[in-house]
Amino acid sequence: MSQARWGRWLLAVPMAVLALATVYPLVFTANVAMKTRRDYILDRFSLADALHWENIATAWNSVGMARYLANSVVVVTVSVFLLLLFGSMAGFALSQLRFRGSSVLFLCCLAALFVPFQVIMVPLARIMGDAGLVDTYPGLVLAYVAQFLPFTIFLMTSYYRTIPPEIIDAARIDGNDVYGVYRRIMLPLGTPALLSVGILNALFCWNDVLISLLLMPSADHRTLMVGVTSLRGQYSDDIPTFASGVLIAAVPVLVIYLFLQRQIADGVAAGATKG
Amino acid sequence: MPVDEAIPSVRPAPAGRTDGTPPRQRVPRARAASRGGRRAERLAPFVLLAPALLILALLRFWPLLLGVNFSFTGDGDRNGLMVGLDNYRELFGDPLFRGALRNVGLLVLLLPVAVAIPGLLATFIYLRVPGHRLFRSVYFFPAVLSPVIVGAIFNLLLAFDGPLNALLGGVGIGPVDWLGDPDVAMFVVVGVHVWATFGMALVVFLAGFATLDASLLDAARVDGASLPQTIRHVIVPSLSRTIQFVFVTTMIGMLTSMFGLLYVMTSGGPEGSTYLPEYYIWIQQGQMNRPALASAASTVLFLIMLVVGLLQISLLRRAVREA
Repeated sequence: MSQARWGRWLLAVPMAVLALATVYPLVFTANVAMKTRRDYILDRFSLADALHWENIATAWNSVGMARYLANSVVVVTVSVFLLLLFGSMAGFALSQLRFRGSSVLFLCCLAALFVPFQVIMVPLARIMGDAGLVDTYPGLVLAYVAQFLPFTIFLMTSYYRTIPPEIIDAARIDGNDVYGVYRRIMLPLGTPALLSVGILNALFCWNDVLISLLLMPSADHRTLMVGVTSLRGQYSDDIPTFASGVLIAAVPVLVIYLFLQRQIADGVAAGATKG
Repeated sequence: MPVDEAIPSVRPAPAGRTDGTPPRQRVPRARAASRGGRRAERLAPFVLLAPALLILALLRFWPLLLGVNFSFTGDGDRNGLMVGLDNYRELFGDPLFRGALRNVGLLVLLLPVAVAIPGLLATFIYLRVPGHRLFRSVYFFPAVLSPVIVGAIFNLLLAFDGPLNALLGGVGIGPVDWLGDPDVAMFVVVGVHVWATFGMALVVFLAGFATLDASLLDAARVDGASLPQTIRHVIVPSLSRTIQFVFVTTMIGMLTSMFGLLYVMTSGGPEGSTYLPEYYIWIQQGQMNRPALASAASTVLFLIMLVVGLLQISLLRRAVREA
């Protein structure tokens, strides 16, 4: 028994080392962001002697981070709202309503899950171009919705299947039509799943760079992640400012992670166990 | 808050309804409904599905067909003309694309490592190593960061005059040109990708462990099985479905979500050594204005993903049966 306990402590050592390796790069970046250029060149590892917030200010002001951030917030908010709306409507229909072709349509949504963006990006760019949607907010929102809708439908359908039919029967007897059931029963009951799926979708959209790079070419339409990629060229000899820009872009996600870790992990696990 | 006490917010579907067929009819047709109301009821599922189906059809399935068609047409002067297999010929003659395919081979070879790391860690966490709750939440956190941010952070750490080389120099090693040496760069980028994503696979493994029959583990312990024996004879066979799923999703992740890292860390260089098909597609479409050639590369990537998925599933099935 005590041998087993020793074994566990022995395992904990490499795991702790790995945990440090997981956290350290970000801690390092945060530390560098707070240093002066001179300090960084003299010693890369020493702790910042004072918190030099002016790096953050420089990064924030000079590359239009505020603009990029606003673009990201708008696009992600609208995309997630539409994803949850369309995803829950489809999930309700596929899980609780009986109609011809429902299993075929469910399979179509599943199949869409296996079409990666890289495979369709060239024709998609052309379709968007023909529709005049390149470099517009609606265009990027539509692309995100199309990209993450299959996953959303899939999870919402699985979740709604767990809702007992009796609840819906009762609502019908109370005089609700299908849309009333959706609005008054399915939406409120679906809240936990909507929250989980919503957070995951928000992360996916927020972190995307390829779709945004492809469909939002002009500088003042950049999303935050594309904006970060342009930092490097600008501050290649001013590492603390570069690190500050990276930190600015990382903070929103880190805050969300600290508070909503459980929902994020649950969403990932749910996506897996349904497969 | 530790992820540990998580109550799964999405519960498993009841057995017998996993095939996509809706539950038996039970909604009594509204007695008072008029004929028009009944028709509206019949149409309701399609109304609810309409936005989703429209978007998927227009922006996912239609481009897929269009792309395959594009790949047989020409670029530039020959725009829109059917050119047969010319694009594919050019593609397989292009050293950059061949390099990208070689790198896919490398990914396949590294795949077992990328699966084993989160698998082992999940096992240790499941066996309640001291501090397992903390480890679980720490390991997952890079998975929420954008590849762009991860790439930027590692650009800092791995710069030729950067901290890692300074550290190694202190003990007399290096300096290594992590991102500038064609023999090293691809391994570095894959390593960073694994660093950033192993938390995802870890969570998936832990979800699998939640379904594991604890009495099997107890039995193994009573029989005096060592940890490697327990992993080999109890955990791997019981988690075969989860392992299979992680293999496939990790491979798909390597093929489709390394763009951000490549874009930020190496831009395909040095000497084109870190090209992957997805990066090649982007360059041909976005930089070289060769959409038809890019479409051919897309089609090849799609086929690779199909083959990889099917191969892995059948290989793993056999491996599990023989174990």
